[in-house]
Amino acid sequence: MKSALRNAYYFTLSRYSLNPNPSLLHIVPFISTFPSLPSVLSRNHPFRSPLCATLMTGGDSDSPQTSPSLEKQFEKFRVQLEDSGSLRERIRAVVLEIESATRLMQASLLLVHQSKPIPEVLQKANSQINVLKDLYNKLAEVVRECPGQYYRYHGDWRSETQMVVSLLAFMHWLETGNLLMHTEAEEKLGCIEQFGFCFRPGGLSCWCLFHVK
Amino acid sequence: MLLCSSSAAIRRISVSWLIMANNSNFKSHRLSRSDDAALALESSTKRPGTMSTHSSLKDAFSSYADHLNALNEKRERIVKASRDVTMNSKKVIFQVHRISKANREEVLEKAEKDLAAVRDQHISRLVKELQGTDFWKLRRAYSPGVQEYVEAATFFKFCQTGTLLNLDEINASLLSLSDPSLEPLQINLLDYLLGLADLTGELMRLAIGRISDGEVEYSERICQFVRDIYRELTLLVPLMDDGSDMKTKMDTMLQSVVKIENACFSVRVRGSEYIPLLGSSDPSSFLVGVSDAEL
Repeated sequence: MKSALRNAYYFTLSRYSLNPNPSLLHIVPFISTFPSLPSVLSRNHPFRSPLCATLMTGGDSDSPQTSPSLEKQFEKFRVQLEDSGSLRERIRAVVLEIESATRLMQASLLLVHQSKPIPEVLQKANSQINVLKDLYNKLAEVVRECPGQYYRYHGDWRSETQMVVSLLAFMHWLETGNLLMHTEAEEKLGCIEQFGFCFRPGGLSCWCLFHVK
Repeated sequence: MLLCSSSAAIRRISVSWLIMANNSNFKSHRLSRSDDAALALESSTKRPGTMSTHSSLKDAFSSYADHLNALNEKRERIVKASRDVTMNSKKVIFQVHRISKANREEVLEKAEKDLAAVRDQHISRLVKELQGTDFWKLRRAYSPGVQEYVEAATFFKFCQTGTLLNLDEINASLLSLSDPSLEPLQINLLDYLLGLADLTGELMRLAIGRISDGEVEYSERICQFVRDIYRELTLLVPLMDDGSDMKTKMDTMLQSVVKIENACFSVRVRGSEYIPLLGSSDPSSFLVGVSDAEL
């Protein structure tokens, strides 16, 4: 009963006190277990005070300890999620490089609209293809570390790759007048999976409309 | 010259594209740009283009169409199975909610049977469809169903034993569903955590219900359990892939935790005054603020 009265006291105190600091003092020892807690408390959250009561009662040793198997499971989860997070960061880094190489290609290809001779324009763009090939190899290496989870991270590189394929198709068409086939695109990039063939018509149609004008 | 061959190329590609799009449920918004361009060129030039690569183009596009068709049909089947899993898991949850001191054994027995039925009849359909890279590729199609199943299974386990059903345990129960030659369906970490977040809402309802029946210690055990889950999950949420839905669930979870705490606290402090079956409209009731829809 004593502990309940004590809890009631703290509850009332934190609920009705205008200065929230006294309750903050009580929760300082628990800050380490609740990394997100300061943000919860700083919001003018109607549930703030009861949460302080939670922490107070947590300090009493009446309640049984968290089961160790529960803790172990969540610790395992935390490690797994951290690993996948760092993998995602590495993928993101490679994708940014892909994006910048793509931009260089795109800029040089824009010269086509200014009626510059095609071989000249293509030469510059072609030099970027090897760069892209290396980058995609790097990407493939990273992705190989998590077999079977290709599609988990797929969204991170999908739109950039669609852009690359559309540019490649455009270049191929400038050279040969034909549509770049999926297998040919694969050879150029050394890639492992189908992506982005849907994007191609957009690029070609843009160019043709411009030329008609 | 270049203009003519480009118009022909556009026309060929658009035709193949249209055929492919008609044969499959392909998203049609990308179609319109090439469509417009083809029409514009048709009207401005009249010379037909070369036909040399026409057939190989057609073949390529028809194989793309087949691939997309198969994928979309599979996705449809998975969504249907997932919906059935959701519906039947909800039934299990409603069943477990009827639990009380008097009928505990029979309620749990029925719930266990229903849960097994969900596994055998509906999750098995997912197992058949999902192989290899499909697990992650089609995750959005089956994720809601799996989350609901996790919620139902963990809820049942808690009512039975008072402990949390581990991810490993739940996956072990699914191993028997598939042929040894097929890859078993293993629930991934993200779906498990999302299902767990929904579990706390159900536990809140259970706690309030148990208090109305006078089982105060049971509700306090629920309170401790939910607090533990909330505490563990706060560490994991920032690390999750696309954690936006998880973040909203965490807000709801916090509210659930607080409701349970308020309820238990009120009963403790005002124990001698406590009269069961107080309505929520009574201003002194600890149930003030808990809307009827949530009880």
